[in-house]
Amino acid sequence: MMIKINVSLYGSLSRFGGGRHVAQLDIELEQGAGKAELLRQLGIPENERGYLFINAMLCEVPGISTGANELLKDGDHVGIFSVDRLFPFQYRDGLPISDGLRKTLKENGAMHHSYK
Amino acid sequence: MAKKILRINMTTLKAAYEAVPEKWSRWAGRGLTSAIVCDEVDPMCHPLGPNNKVVIAPGWVTGSPAAPSSGRTSFGGKSPLTGGIKESNAGGLSGQMIAKLGLAAIIVEGTPLKGEWYTLVVSKDGVKFESAADLVGKGMYEVDELLWKKYPKTAVIGIGQAGEMKLSNAGISVNDPENKPGRYAGRGGMGAVMGARGVKAMVIVDTGGPGVEIANQDLFKQGRKKLTESIQEHGLTKKAGGLNAFGTAVLVNILNEAGGLPTRNFSAGQFEGAAKISGEAIAEVCEKRGGEGMMGHGCHPGCIIKCSNIYPNESGEAIVSCIEYETTWAMGANCGIDELDYIAKMTRECNDIGLDTIEAGNTVAIAMEGGLLPFGDAEGAFKTFDEIRRGTPLGRILGQGVEATAKAFGVSRVPTVKGQSMPAYEPRAVKGIGVTYATTPMGADHTAGYTIAPEIAGVSGKLDPLSDEGKAELSLTFQAATAFIDSSGYCLFIAFPILDIAKGWEGMAESVAGVTGLNITGADVIPLGKEILKMERLFNEKAGFTAEDDRPPEFMRNESLPPHNVKWSITDDQLDSVFAWVHNGQKA
Repeated sequence: MMIKINVSLYGSLSRFGGGRHVAQLDIELEQGAGKAELLRQLGIPENERGYLFINAMLCEVPGISTGANELLKDGDHVGIFSVDRLFPFQYRDGLPISDGLRKTLKENGAMHHSYK
Repeated sequence: MAKKILRINMTTLKAAYEAVPEKWSRWAGRGLTSAIVCDEVDPMCHPLGPNNKVVIAPGWVTGSPAAPSSGRTSFGGKSPLTGGIKESNAGGLSGQMIAKLGLAAIIVEGTPLKGEWYTLVVSKDGVKFESAADLVGKGMYEVDELLWKKYPKTAVIGIGQAGEMKLSNAGISVNDPENKPGRYAGRGGMGAVMGARGVKAMVIVDTGGPGVEIANQDLFKQGRKKLTESIQEHGLTKKAGGLNAFGTAVLVNILNEAGGLPTRNFSAGQFEGAAKISGEAIAEVCEKRGGEGMMGHGCHPGCIIKCSNIYPNESGEAIVSCIEYETTWAMGANCGIDELDYIAKMTRECNDIGLDTIEAGNTVAIAMEGGLLPFGDAEGAFKTFDEIRRGTPLGRILGQGVEATAKAFGVSRVPTVKGQSMPAYEPRAVKGIGVTYATTPMGADHTAGYTIAPEIAGVSGKLDPLSDEGKAELSLTFQAATAFIDSSGYCLFIAFPILDIAKGWEGMAESVAGVTGLNITGADVIPLGKEILKMERLFNEKAGFTAEDDRPPEFMRNESLPPHNVKWSITDDQLDSVFAWVHNGQKA
């Protein structure tokens, strides 16, 4: 049984979906697959991955990895930005974020432009 | 040579130079326009009557050699849209030229007795009052072109037909380096206030001006270096970074993915056509069509961020510069329109007629909700702008902005605070901005306070950014930082590097101290910003504003916003705590 995930890739990551600056595509995964399998299938290296949203929930930020592997289900939408892309820091306050990211930010400090 | 104030009286048609009085000597940009408005404009005056004024001031460092991205001009007065104090600032050529003439501010007051229209030519020799009879009725593209034939390479400040009709959504245009009218002090109807003075245009000729004095070259250079480095390091503002590569519309896809992109008159937080109207899409069009199209365009000489763009038609000829985030959102997602070519054409209409694109797009969305035309009708939306240009009864309603149009069409979902409509960040989804929308003296305004890394601004350790606690203090801190930046002449986009990178924050303060000789360090930024906010708050109180004016629109408390299905959750007490310090904790 396969599930279909709708994916949007932005900036330089769009090349993994055949786009110039934006790519939108559907990816089929095995039932029970998560975020990690999706990234693997798309071929996106960890060091190029920036902000990642699943169904409007912020799950990853650039520079650190939550290590969480959120389960995906049929019809989910995943949006992935390249690492060099801005997140609107000024509006992050109060934005819905995943449990995994919440835990990571508590350990690493508030969301910032860089974790170097 | 000490800077001067140039006072232009449109009743007597006389202009005079004045020394800058001690009480205003610390201020520039927004700080100065607000100080002058507070001292000289009756808060109860009619914004279009003879007692309102237009105050124009470049920032502290504007016009100084190679201060990066510092070409802003502030325009202040009492707003016909909000009924409160207004400072709206723009890029373009005017700020640097006014500063090079040795002027701290230009105050335009009075009203011509017989309703004549004037072009004011401001040079080192004073002011020439020229008849603007040949310009009246014309849009800003033609006005800029005609004035450059007579006064080439000058800064042109002007109003389109909307300002002539004194519509509440009329902005003030400043020309860009290509002499196009894309730089607007858009928000709050300051174009109508200029129109009410009988001023169609102002030409700034900086030839032979004394230039900007630098009080402490070493300190200025040190500050400039730190600030420049931080701008060049930050992922948003560096060369080929987010803003340079995709313009401010880089935000479209991110806000959409986050569920915070207001859609179809603030009825949803995601738009299915967002990618088609995003900065990435604008970049693709520019690359594909070529010609005059480009990303990385600078709105004024000396900008090192260059977030502007020139959007081309299919033949590669420029349609408009530029399509901003707020613009592509207002005309696009908020109207259910996903066609960039139409968004470009509507933006050009706004720039020509002299309208704020945020208020204009929101107004079309209200008209769509009210049944004048369906959501998604790009051609119909485009045609509404000509109604405004021609001054038809419908056009005059639309030109008054969101609240007037909502009344005319019986719409109750009205996304305004203090009469001004909200920009492109849904406060139910991204709560931090909501406190600022509700409480800023300017009416719902995204530029009023950027909520960024709090530790640099001195509120570190006091709050958990992931909780609901402390939002009032954060909002106040960033409103104050913004008031300071708006006074500096620096573009607000330096907010990202200075609030994320400590040396940028210091560098901004040091460069201001270096130019002015004022004893300002990073530690003074927030206190000085708060002084400006206090002046503005007190003006608004005298104009009749109360705590009830610091509230979000009612529908946001009642209607859940998809996809997060959230309602407004900040309490009124939290909102009231933002400015409680103005009266030492007591209610006004």
